[in-house]
Amino acid sequence: MSKQLKVKTLWRDLRRAFLIALLAAVVGLAVNSQLLWRVFSGQTLNTVPSAVDESVETILPLPVELAEVRELQASTTLFIDARSREAFAEGHLPGARSLPWGEEVAGVGVLQAEVPLETPLIVYCSGYDCTDSFELAERLIAAGYHQVRVFEGGFPEWRDAGLPVEGAQP
Amino acid sequence: MKNWRTILYHGSRLVLGALFCYAGVVKALDVVAFAGSVANYQLLPYQLNFLVAALLPYVELAAGLLLLLGRQVRPAVVLIAGMNGVFIVALLSVILRGLDIDCGCFRPGGEGHTSAQMALLRDVGIMLLALVTWLGVGRRND
Repeated sequence: MSKQLKVKTLWRDLRRAFLIALLAAVVGLAVNSQLLWRVFSGQTLNTVPSAVDESVETILPLPVELAEVRELQASTTLFIDARSREAFAEGHLPGARSLPWGEEVAGVGVLQAEVPLETPLIVYCSGYDCTDSFELAERLIAAGYHQVRVFEGGFPEWRDAGLPVEGAQP
Repeated sequence: MKNWRTILYHGSRLVLGALFCYAGVVKALDVVAFAGSVANYQLLPYQLNFLVAALLPYVELAAGLLLLLGRQVRPAVVLIAGMNGVFIVALLSVILRGLDIDCGCFRPGGEGHTSAQMALLRDVGIMLLALVTWLGVGRRND
């Protein structure tokens, strides 16, 4: 085989490889169009069956009071902030970790990779009218975390009690 | 002499094809979980993780099927080598950043933890298989 011919066939192979990939990608797009539409239009994925085995009976997360939250501050308990990244940046409980509801699929995956399942978690968001923390807590229990509780008063109750806050508070 | 070369070529072609078919099917069946695996790499913005998770399994499956069928073997090998190169770069970045994540190569959802180092070793093996297949088909009229 001459060198020229080799280069020519290599280009042909590359072109064909690209075409195969393109066709396969189109099939993938078609099959997952609904899911992708949801993701790219910014809707949450609640309606999408998750990877969680639904046959396992999910336990509901228990509420936790402000006084107990204060005591747990110094323990190994990890605080999870379910609010938006912006709200988290403005101010959050000391040592809390941001896991916004709406990014929970990726967020829970990252958390699972970094935080052991036996770590006690307390989830909070922006107070009693906010259900994200409860839903996120359910998702975390389904993901295998053994101790997940919800601080229903959330960030406002913590801040209004005059307790220390981390972040760019005005 | 010619005989064992033929066996080697078909062997590597079929192993590579089966491997990528399996990887593609397993991930295509649970796109959301696989998106989580992609997100663990912390390389892409949130939405692109889903895009990759939706498309990549089908490309893997297509390349794997072509190898199993023995059609368009060279382009399929090029495609697999290309994807594998991307995987290797991603895994290297994981190791360099010191992330402890499951590679998400086959089963999404992180049952059975395959470390980045192990996955990297496996990908080097896949690269060798691709090379053997490529060289084997080079002497034939495909």
